[in-house]
Amino acid sequence: MANRITIDPITRIEGHLRIDVEVENNAVSNAWASCTMWRGIEKILRGRDPRDAWMFTQRFCGVCTTVHAMASVRSVEDALKLEIPPNAQYIRNLILIGHALHDHIVHFYQLSALDWVDVLQIPKADPAKTSALAESLSPWTGNSRLTMKAAQDKVKAVAASGQLGIFANGYWGHPAMRLSPEVNLLAFSHYLQALEYQRKALQVVGMLGSKTPHIQNLTVGGVANAIDLDSQSALSMDKLEMIRVLLDDVVRFVQQVYFVDVCAVAAMYPEWFHIGGGVKNYLAVPDLPLDSRGSSYDLPGGYIRHGELGGVRSFQTASDTVFRQAVSEDVTHSYYQGTKPLQPWVGETEPQFTGWDGSQKYSWVKAPRFDNEPMQVGPLAQVLVGFATGHELTKKYAVAAIEKVKSIGGPQITPDMLHSTLGRHAARAIRACMLAELAQKHWQLLVDNISRGDLSVHNAPVFSSSEVEGVGTHEAPRGTLSHWVVVKDKKIKNYQAVVPSTWNASPRDNAGAQGPYEASLMRTPLARPEEPLEVLRTVHSFDPCMACACHAFDPSGKPIAQVKVL
Amino acid sequence: MKRILIAGIGSVLLGDDGIGPYVLRLLQANYVFDEGIELEDLGTPALDLIDHIAGLDALIVVDAVEDGNVPGTVTLYRKPELTRHAPTVRLDPHSPALSDALWAAEFFGNAPQEVLLVGVTAASYDGGCSLSGAVQAAVEPVIRQVLRELDRLDAGFLRRFEEGETDIWWEDKTLAIAG
Repeated sequence: MANRITIDPITRIEGHLRIDVEVENNAVSNAWASCTMWRGIEKILRGRDPRDAWMFTQRFCGVCTTVHAMASVRSVEDALKLEIPPNAQYIRNLILIGHALHDHIVHFYQLSALDWVDVLQIPKADPAKTSALAESLSPWTGNSRLTMKAAQDKVKAVAASGQLGIFANGYWGHPAMRLSPEVNLLAFSHYLQALEYQRKALQVVGMLGSKTPHIQNLTVGGVANAIDLDSQSALSMDKLEMIRVLLDDVVRFVQQVYFVDVCAVAAMYPEWFHIGGGVKNYLAVPDLPLDSRGSSYDLPGGYIRHGELGGVRSFQTASDTVFRQAVSEDVTHSYYQGTKPLQPWVGETEPQFTGWDGSQKYSWVKAPRFDNEPMQVGPLAQVLVGFATGHELTKKYAVAAIEKVKSIGGPQITPDMLHSTLGRHAARAIRACMLAELAQKHWQLLVDNISRGDLSVHNAPVFSSSEVEGVGTHEAPRGTLSHWVVVKDKKIKNYQAVVPSTWNASPRDNAGAQGPYEASLMRTPLARPEEPLEVLRTVHSFDPCMACACHAFDPSGKPIAQVKVL
Repeated sequence: MKRILIAGIGSVLLGDDGIGPYVLRLLQANYVFDEGIELEDLGTPALDLIDHIAGLDALIVVDAVEDGNVPGTVTLYRKPELTRHAPTVRLDPHSPALSDALWAAEFFGNAPQEVLLVGVTAASYDGGCSLSGAVQAAVEPVIRQVLRELDRLDAGFLRRFEEGETDIWWEDKTLAIAG
């Protein structure tokens, strides 16, 4: 007989992710992913000036502000066939890279690391051995015995006080936790150090975007940064130099710490290269445009079906015709009215809430489909597309990861093993290294272009009275994001956002095909079903982000029905 | 010099959840504050909030709350109430950001000494860019509570001679919200 487990942190009123799994013989036999709140925010945009849309879309989500702003201006620029100056492309690219590096670091250390690292084993570690191990893996300067000792003392103090605080609800001592005390301490000391580097990455966004969490410098047609190499109030050489220093620090952390830690976890949990696969259709859009028109890009995009890397198809542009035509959204199992899949430009968002029923409607997330198939999006999709198309930068860091994992005593990774929970983590670390290198490249591109005397940052948008459609895409930290806009008479007629977590958290469609979260959980072994650590590992590997909006504080701290065994 | 952050939290697209950013904009327009006092419309931050509160002497937050009171009720919460329950296992990076961030800051050793949440019981979180009548009526009392806390912290502010321009750009009452 199957047990049902629901993971649903109910203290929150904002929309969030809920996972239901059925467990038979200590393995997942069925799975549902759902979102518990209707957003319906897109309707707010109808009738507004398309030049203002990005200010609103930036408020869709508190974690992903920048990415929604960027996709929005790109959608209007696509509708107007508006090119933007090279400086604006580079400034936008640096903002996107800064945001992505911040996000990838936060994801691994703050959200995921403690799925693999047992904090309560740390007091048993030998700081000297930990330091020696760390120094054998990386040239990072923050691996001294004293650093390790300080991190250990922090944990000892918390453990001795009996008040575990932020660590009160981890699955410590779970049989699926298998790192040595030293490796636990090593990763934990980097968890502490990560805070400083995630902040530096965000500072880059703030300096170029003038503010975080909500950047202020975008405009349809470019950016609003005044460039004057000698002026304090504009983007000056001083400021650019400060940005370079920040980026160099973040680059070092990503390549010497984050990348190495992911490889170490991968080496020590090799079975997780065979768990958590699921949907093997992958979708990524090209990003980091290198010219005004967006005719070449530094990040590859395309799609792969059924795990066949040989059959990869590339997208030539970020709003490729194939992409524009292939995306639709199905609401068979979503709390919306509607009978057939619709393209986003004619998409509707009419709620029809019926309560959770796994065989009928069960989620506020629509089911996006690409040519009628569910697609997995995220760093893994981009890395697989890059690897399959021979993209040099992707290959460089993919090969580095394969070698590093092996050198730490891990398995020989084959492309097939990347369809897995660890595959997602490895791909994110690979992508972070690529972005780190590209940060320095795009900084140089910007400085070189300015040095040639080009100070232009903006092309004025021109509207006609006829109806036009546009799609703006961005390969965001969580994967392919697309904003779809219809403009008429200088006003927004329709607006839809198809976000990465909609692709990945998608419910079943009219053919019954599961979305990526759901499919990835099938057959996952659970050592202790009442402590579903293994489910969290796989769900976290996608970097889920569902809330996208509302954060009212619930002071009652109601009892938390995290896990219900039915 | 004391470092104090006055933060408005909430989504300006979800009705009464916008109270925090709304009050923030009014404070910015109508008052000048001592050096060291910062005002931020933080939207709906998740764990990023840790970065914003690290190293502060005092934190004042304005946000909508779900406390079962009559909509528009203003309730003050201090650190002990905000951190009564330890953070739970997370599925996504959005958690009750404030309490999680406070717990984290406590652990990292850089939590603000003084924390005040000025909470307003919301009537509605439906998509839309304006406040309900009940919550709109709470705006002045909320501002008074923020200023009282600054007094208590011995932090200075002055009301501007002429009212500044209030930048509540999201509010557009001429548009049908639920259309």
